[in-house]
Amino acid sequence: MKNSVPQVQGRSAARKWLDNNLGLLYILPWIIGFLVFKAYPFGLSLFYSFTDMNLFNGISEYGLMNYIEIFNTAKITKALIVTAKYSFITVPLKLAFALFIAYILNFNIKFVNAFRTAYYVPSILGGSVAIAVLWKALFRDEGMVNTLLSYFGVTGPSWLSDPDYALFIICFLRVWQFGSAMVLFLAALKGVPADVYEAATIDGAGKWKQFFSITVPMITPVIFYNLVTQICQAFQEFNGPYIITNGGPRGSTTLVSLLVYQYAFKQQEMGMASAIAWVMFIICAVLTIVAFTSQKKWVYYSDER
Amino acid sequence: MKKLLALLLALVMCCGLLAGCGSMTQGTGGPADSETADTGSTEPVTYELSETPVTLSISWWGGDSRHTAYQEAIAAFVEATPSVEEVTVDFGAWSGWEDKMSTYFASGTAADVCQVNWNWLTSYSSNGQTFMDLNDLSEFLDLTQFDENALAQCTVAGALQCVPAAMTGRIFYWNSETFEKVGVEIPTSYEELIAAGQAFAEFEDGSYYPTALGEYDRMILMVYYLESIYGKDWVVDGALNYSEEEIIEGLEFIQTLEDNHVTPTIQQILGDGAESLDKNPKWMDGRYAGIFEWDSSASKFHGALNNPDAFVVGDELGTGGFTKVALGLAITKTCEHPAEAALLIDYLLNGEGAAIMGSQLGIPLSKSGLEAAGDAVDALTAEANSKVLASCTNSLDPKFEDSALKASDGVYYDVMAGLSYGDYSVEEAAGILIDGIEGVL
Repeated sequence: MKNSVPQVQGRSAARKWLDNNLGLLYILPWIIGFLVFKAYPFGLSLFYSFTDMNLFNGISEYGLMNYIEIFNTAKITKALIVTAKYSFITVPLKLAFALFIAYILNFNIKFVNAFRTAYYVPSILGGSVAIAVLWKALFRDEGMVNTLLSYFGVTGPSWLSDPDYALFIICFLRVWQFGSAMVLFLAALKGVPADVYEAATIDGAGKWKQFFSITVPMITPVIFYNLVTQICQAFQEFNGPYIITNGGPRGSTTLVSLLVYQYAFKQQEMGMASAIAWVMFIICAVLTIVAFTSQKKWVYYSDER
Repeated sequence: MKKLLALLLALVMCCGLLAGCGSMTQGTGGPADSETADTGSTEPVTYELSETPVTLSISWWGGDSRHTAYQEAIAAFVEATPSVEEVTVDFGAWSGWEDKMSTYFASGTAADVCQVNWNWLTSYSSNGQTFMDLNDLSEFLDLTQFDENALAQCTVAGALQCVPAAMTGRIFYWNSETFEKVGVEIPTSYEELIAAGQAFAEFEDGSYYPTALGEYDRMILMVYYLESIYGKDWVVDGALNYSEEEIIEGLEFIQTLEDNHVTPTIQQILGDGAESLDKNPKWMDGRYAGIFEWDSSASKFHGALNNPDAFVVGDELGTGGFTKVALGLAITKTCEHPAEAALLIDYLLNGEGAAIMGSQLGIPLSKSGLEAAGDAVDALTAEANSKVLASCTNSLDPKFEDSALKASDGVYYDVMAGLSYGDYSVEEAAGILIDGIEGVL
């Protein structure tokens, strides 16, 4: 009986600890996964970026040489420019296209669910190897696209092998995968109160006026979210250029992610690959911070004053 | 606070950019750090068969017919070898295979027995850190069946790191049906090849070509051409053996082929959208009437033709060019049962397995293997190999195939595509080529 008080106290302390940390225990598997598969490689790649780490020869030199070389190597600076072009083409186009289709699918039209499914499917398939192979078959010189053009008397260009066109084919594949952004826009459009539109209609506002003065401002949080995620994804694009053009012709579709792969797994130069990835990360992070900073000026949150 | 959290989450998303670059679990020295990297040791190493049945693993690249042959031969080996209960296999097409294998070698996770390209010995085991010295396993693997010169070519850092399966070189294959259609004889010299190009240009709409040469094909053909003129090896004692003027002459020859409709431009070939020339519809239907390929590839290109009867093994167009070890079988230093792995190699190259493998790895270099293969050797491959060995007398430095030169983002591709696209003059291309080669050597 004398011992019962401390036992109860011990149990209650353990219970209290459990109550306070139960949530942490639930997410522990994720935390372990994050630390092992993200944080550790993240830190290690930062370390490697300051070395000449080679998979077979190890490390023999430390310093800033990789970062200096990045900006003095034409191949790398070209890849940075190509990646910037790719992102600045695909992100706005994809957002505009996703919003346009979502706006149409927000009306009460027949078979709307079937259309929504059909438009979402490319997002599931788009990043796959099979679709990239299909894309290659469609756009080769004697592929379906040029065959269709020939019916109209038009001689199609060499989409895949002409440096002036190849990047656009890769961009087109990306834009075609607008489904996930579209679904988010669709959800946001559903959330715009109908009475606001009614009031605007009574005041004489037309559809275009309503779209730009009501719809767009009301869904800016989702536009903002899509913008940030699409920028991050665009800078990491790999499958399309790897499978369709392998970075060619003449480096016109060599995105930075492809260059990182080439340095890491073809040349085994992990140090340089890590440094390029870090430069890419910094660019991506700066763009994200700029987007976050700018949101005060253009993103409308209904719960804010 | 909410915004700060959102910003942090967005940055975490960006981490995906970097996660692939630092996942090395190996020490900073790669396999060289491992306790098995002991090539400096002079102690004789002895191995014994395990007392209990073991499991081995093997990896290779190739086409469907090679996959089938390997699997049949391995099944027969397991049945015939009581000390081996299972052999697990890992195989695939060549595309991307080297990237995968180099990562396996670096992380020490490659299969026990690996089919290796000749240059892998210098690229991935220059200090003997990745592959075992097969001399130590001669009790289980009969090395006397192989030509000593070929074995010497596979000796790197004082260790016999692989057993060569075959010797190979490049040769032209032709589609005789197309040549008949155009009304031109199959070329037997470089002059006739150029003349054929002019005849093809005038045939129908000019969409037929006597041959199609990709970037790496052009590089090899240029070396063959120069060696046929000057008779000297491309690289001697670790130094490029050709002057800038001589290389310019070679590049001008390559450009002449394009200018005379002998080969389509690189842009045209890329525009075909085919993974490789044997999968190119224009080779299949005869619009590309020739290819310059390894002798061991005869059956692959023969089988791809719509009319296989038209397939002809050509003659070498000049008396020059190199032969090299086509590929070999190696045992990795992480193999736990080297004796059994050596038995497997012996079975595949010297023993009954060679009868099943036939000429899937090229014409067997092993004397007993060649005898065992007998009728299983493909007649076209044998014809191509005999022509190559009779005509190509120059040797090749393994650095010729270094990935910095040979890979699709390497110097050869840059130079040959740059020349074809008009980005480089021959003088500029020669300078880039020489700098690139000297950088690797």
